[in-house]
Amino acid sequence: MKKYHLRPGRLLCYLLLIAVCAFVLLPIVMTFAYSFFPQSEIKSYLGMRSNYKEDAFMPFLLSPARFSLRQYYTILIETPKYLNLFVNSVKYTAAILLGQLLIIPMTAYALSRFRFHGRDLLFFCVLTLMLLPFQVTMAPSVITMRTLHLMDTVWAVILPMIFSPFYIFLLRQFMIGLPNELLEAGMIDGAGTVRCFIHVVIPVCRPILGAFIALSFADCWNMVEQPLIYLSRRQSAMPLSVLFNQISTENSEIAFAGAALYILPALLIYSYFQEDILLGIQLSELK
Amino acid sequence: MFHRKKSLWLFLLPGLIGLMIFYVIPFFGGIYFSMTDGTINNQLVGIVNYKELWQNEVFQLGLKNTLELSLLCAPTIFVLSFVLSAMLRSLKDKSLSFRNILVLPYLMPTSALLLIWLLLFDYGGVINRIVSSMGLKRVLWLESAALRVPIVLMYVWKNVGFSVVIFSAALQAIPEAYYEFASLEGANPLQKELKITLPQILPTAFLVFVLAWVNAFKIFKEIYFIGGAYPHDAVYTLQHFMNNKFAALDYQDVTAAAYSFAVIVLVLFGVLYMSRAVRTNDV
Repeated sequence: MKKYHLRPGRLLCYLLLIAVCAFVLLPIVMTFAYSFFPQSEIKSYLGMRSNYKEDAFMPFLLSPARFSLRQYYTILIETPKYLNLFVNSVKYTAAILLGQLLIIPMTAYALSRFRFHGRDLLFFCVLTLMLLPFQVTMAPSVITMRTLHLMDTVWAVILPMIFSPFYIFLLRQFMIGLPNELLEAGMIDGAGTVRCFIHVVIPVCRPILGAFIALSFADCWNMVEQPLIYLSRRQSAMPLSVLFNQISTENSEIAFAGAALYILPALLIYSYFQEDILLGIQLSELK
Repeated sequence: MFHRKKSLWLFLLPGLIGLMIFYVIPFFGGIYFSMTDGTINNQLVGIVNYKELWQNEVFQLGLKNTLELSLLCAPTIFVLSFVLSAMLRSLKDKSLSFRNILVLPYLMPTSALLLIWLLLFDYGGVINRIVSSMGLKRVLWLESAALRVPIVLMYVWKNVGFSVVIFSAALQAIPEAYYEFASLEGANPLQKELKITLPQILPTAFLVFVLAWVNAFKIFKEIYFIGGAYPHDAVYTLQHFMNNKFAALDYQDVTAAAYSFAVIVLVLFGVLYMSRAVRTNDV
């Protein structure tokens, strides 16, 4: 029927995609594998780096001399610094996500389902802000934070991210694609704008909300630029994303367990929301 | 669509206030700030800051590197994600697990995986093993201007999946009947891609490219973790310049640099795209 999908071509597709996916997974798998190596082995292995002798290559470590959970024990029980930073990261991420979940769906609802003066102008602003690189919005924001005396407080990191224009855009594009009949049916049943929002719009937005949570989580969990600028004089309030690199350089024997634990929440969020990421973006009008 | 409902303000106001305080007002207020002299009297000096900034070689270097790195990354991501999505489409429903794997790196924190990349690109690492087994001279990936290669690779590795998801969504929206009809008319696969796929996904392709480009301006984390605040000249980005100026409390230069960059970016593509998006989404 479909001569277009010839068998050899399909096989090639599979092989290429498997190769690409293997490359994609490689660093993640290696991190987890190395986290079960004994500390001494990892330390000496990492110590072999930056050897510029022409005949010296690093060996390729595949399996540990003996399976060990010592890295995890050290990082969880004996090194409070890592856990403190981890908790900082959790706090920032939770605060930002909670704020976003409160504000962004409402804003997107107003921008997509209400007709009012200046709506297009406001949406134009959101689009412009979304397209401006981080460097451009960051600089004036620093001055605002100074004026509001929020510099070097956690709020300077949290508050701007709560109103992230990209996620307003993403949710608005999804909501604008919802059929009018859906809301009209709600209104015939006597629901006002608020009940329509809570009982009609939010439930059907489930995929894009999932995508939004997962993508926004990734942003927060990995933020570097914002804390570097806004918390430059508050090292103790830094999240793990900024200082993990320092920990893994200073204590290379526990670097991989630290990395594995750091990745773990992202993996959990990913496995819970992976269908939503695909479905949410597929259903919204991203044009 | 609701008309003249008072409840509008209930939904709109929190977001509107936040956008105003943290984005819109700072943006316009900053323009004034960038034209003052930064002393106690804070006098208006016009475009003097901009003139000085544009003669600053470090600024030129940062701007040039940021633009060049983004022009290395964005087209790579664009082409690669299109090819991957086209391949995924031909696999139909069997493509789901591949798509899931491709988007995984987008959620991975940069600093957690950095060490693995450093191992791979070490002078004695796997990449150089491959290089020297091909009879070439080993490369100083991490210590020279060649650092751009791992940086671009890390960036593409992390971000290509997101573009694949957007592309795949657009490809799935093309009715299968178009292709079947084209087959009946005797079109070959290449013709189908050029005559059906390409025109159908053009608006999405535009979005993918713009988003990939804007995001590529953000390349900084990886470089910062490898090279600190003053990395090799080939990878010293605009973000480095601004961070260092900021650390020196030179807010005028920081804001002037921000607006110079904004003008460049907006001239490049912003206005065109936005006017179109507002028009096509008007309900």
